[in-house]
Amino acid sequence: MRRSTALRLAATAVLAGLAATACGTGSADDPANAGQTNQAAEPVDVDTGATVDVRLVLEPTSLDIATTAGAALDQILLDNIYQGLLTRDENNKVKPSLATSYDESSDGLTYTFRLAENATFHDGAKVTAADAVWSLKQVTAKGSKNPDAAALASVKSVSATDDHTVVVKLKHRDTGLTWGLTGRAGIVFKKGTDFSTLVGKENGTGPFKLSGWKRGSSITFVRNDAYWGEKAKVAKVVFQYIKDDNAANNAQQTGQTDIETAVDATLLQPFSDRRKYTVLRGDTTDKFTLALNNAAGPTKDLRVRRAIRQAIDKPGLIKTLGGAAVQVGGPVPATDPGYEGLTSIDAYDPENAKELLRQAGYGDGLKLTVKIPNIYPAEIGDYLASQLKQVGIELTVRQVEFQTWLDAVYTKHDYQLSLVDHAEARDLSNFANPDYYFGYDNANVQKWYAAAQTASGDSERDALLKKAARQVSEDAAADWLFVNQTLTVVRSGVTGVPRNFTSNRYDLANLAVAKK
Amino acid sequence: MTLYVLRRAGLLVVSLFAASVLIFLVLRLLPGDVAQTIGGIKATPTQVAAVRHDLGLDRPLTAQYGSWIGGVVTGDFGRSVLDGTSVSGQLAEKFAVTGPLAVGAVLLALGFAVPLGVLAAVRRDSRLGGAVNALGQLGIALPTLWVGLLLVVVFAVQVRWLPAQGFPVDGWDEPGRALRSLVLPWLTLALSEGAVLLRFVRSAVLDVLHQDWLRTARAKGHTRTSALLRHGLRNAAVPVVSVLGLQIAALVAGAVVVEQVFVLPGVGQMLITDVGNRDLDKVQGEILLLTGAVLVIGFVVDLVHRLIDPKLRSAV
Repeated sequence: MRRSTALRLAATAVLAGLAATACGTGSADDPANAGQTNQAAEPVDVDTGATVDVRLVLEPTSLDIATTAGAALDQILLDNIYQGLLTRDENNKVKPSLATSYDESSDGLTYTFRLAENATFHDGAKVTAADAVWSLKQVTAKGSKNPDAAALASVKSVSATDDHTVVVKLKHRDTGLTWGLTGRAGIVFKKGTDFSTLVGKENGTGPFKLSGWKRGSSITFVRNDAYWGEKAKVAKVVFQYIKDDNAANNAQQTGQTDIETAVDATLLQPFSDRRKYTVLRGDTTDKFTLALNNAAGPTKDLRVRRAIRQAIDKPGLIKTLGGAAVQVGGPVPATDPGYEGLTSIDAYDPENAKELLRQAGYGDGLKLTVKIPNIYPAEIGDYLASQLKQVGIELTVRQVEFQTWLDAVYTKHDYQLSLVDHAEARDLSNFANPDYYFGYDNANVQKWYAAAQTASGDSERDALLKKAARQVSEDAAADWLFVNQTLTVVRSGVTGVPRNFTSNRYDLANLAVAKK
Repeated sequence: MTLYVLRRAGLLVVSLFAASVLIFLVLRLLPGDVAQTIGGIKATPTQVAAVRHDLGLDRPLTAQYGSWIGGVVTGDFGRSVLDGTSVSGQLAEKFAVTGPLAVGAVLLALGFAVPLGVLAAVRRDSRLGGAVNALGQLGIALPTLWVGLLLVVVFAVQVRWLPAQGFPVDGWDEPGRALRSLVLPWLTLALSEGAVLLRFVRSAVLDVLHQDWLRTARAKGHTRTSALLRHGLRNAAVPVVSVLGLQIAALVAGAVVVEQVFVLPGVGQMLITDVGNRDLDKVQGEILLLTGAVLVIGFVVDLVHRLIDPKLRSAV
């Protein structure tokens, strides 16, 4: 009798706790409409001594941007610490950076870049054409360890004609060259930089300097007061690496962070007060790609691949995940060149999917396995399994560590289905490379893609890319579940916050805080 | 006693050597390697192979083990391939979080588990004893992760007394903030660890209460309380110390969960990240040092046993 009273008390306590948890993580009224694309104007009275705490998700594995891959390095280091000859604007269009202007010769084989004359490195030295030439040559050199070296594969020679002019000559026309230079392949380091020292000591040219890295928790930047261009408007930025979405939400709610990037669309409810928070909705190039092994297994058969595509209701999936995503239908997202709406190709049609499977000889059912890195929401795997079950495919979902995915799927092509977020912009090339893990080999696509690279102008290029992308989709070379949209929660008083492509680069140039 | 200590110390060295071989080999079973982490998904296979060669990952395993263990013997536990930081330096930095986290949690757990456990044993037939016992059961049943989340929702998000997550950027240079950020993790860990201890204390004291020598002590004129304090607790302490030793080792595992929930840059979080990056040179050094710590704790627990319990000493 005594014991049962105690247990009842305990049970009440547990239920009260559950209720409290539920209150803390409710879903938004209509997440599909949450988030805006404009933000408040910069305040008149800017607090130039402000510190801004920003929640990011993935911590860099190293700060050696010259030889270590990873979007987490690009995200914080490009534009803020290091600058290239060119950069990207908030809509992923190429714009000048250390090179204030550039010309392309009429045959498209010579590019001439003019460097800003007052640009300096953080150690005070002037940025000269010799530095830029040296840096580009490190990327194009034989045996280069720059993971982005392929971006400059068309370069024949790099030279300086005076202190501030760099001439790049190409082997053939390359419509991707200027884009390539906006990435890490285009960074200008001081001539003779020992890349192995970049981990702890940077000498960039950007508006911020590296102040400290607490591994496992945060990286701190401080304003470069000697910056050659318009100086940053905040004194300090602390990037806090918080993987867990709930923990990140708590941090933003309690004021531990000023900006929360990559917010889970189903956890927006605490930020519904517009006087306290702005929710920004931005574009990404994160294509959640369901790879269908084109080279081996049942998915070698076009009918099976098409059946899988037609069996999956994409709008339903987007709704399940909270609504912050758009349908795509092909390998090119709306913000990349070569985009056109392709969602009508292999649109949702479970009955036809069953018919296709029957024709392919799987009328009695088919067993498949999908390998998914465990960093993505588990709901995606569950959703795929339940959708495919309706057309007679029994899908086993195997959650794997990302490194295991890299080894098994990416390197050894040991998979039937695989799901990964292909976050790179302009990566249609993966479908023009038969050795890539997709195993997709279509001579026309390869020809059109190559022609697009050497096209004489953007319109010719875009037409060829469109043709290739359409073919890729018609061949069901993969399925594209959705392109993510990214949500950022900003506390009131903070402006100039990056909205688009925030996991690729996080340009802090316009970030400002109103004086209290 | 000296002979015993020497023998135990010899065993410790042999165990450490065996552990180093095991750690090295088991880590090599993981798919993927750090060269792929460095090269990412844009590097060509040739580039990745070049990185692998530069790092010596293409050498035979015996050679790799040899160069590692050679360093360990001279006190060099290795370096991160990715960012060049030393294993001992990084462990020291992370222990500044995990150490206080674990020690504080153990003290807190002992602080409530011992008095409550004794109370639950002595008053086992009363309402109070039953309630304490039920509380202990509940503490064991609740998942650490869930308790942590609940504490955050109540004390950080609702009433805003304590920070929801993280550790100050300047660490212990800001002692007030550092302490505040450890309060909820301490509670979370202490609750689950303490509940287990409470049950052991209770059963150990119950065992002792029925012993003949305790009755003898009371017959000689001791009150129940003084008999328990002078003779009972010391005897009850023997099994409790054993369990505590095991619990401290288990704390490392518990800390991994708690560090995730509270986003604390501690040892557990570092290990997860390093394994994910396949920074094996660093991981093997870290695990060897941790294994060493657990073995040394076992060694100390054995010695403490002998100090508490004269029966063990004469048995040699």
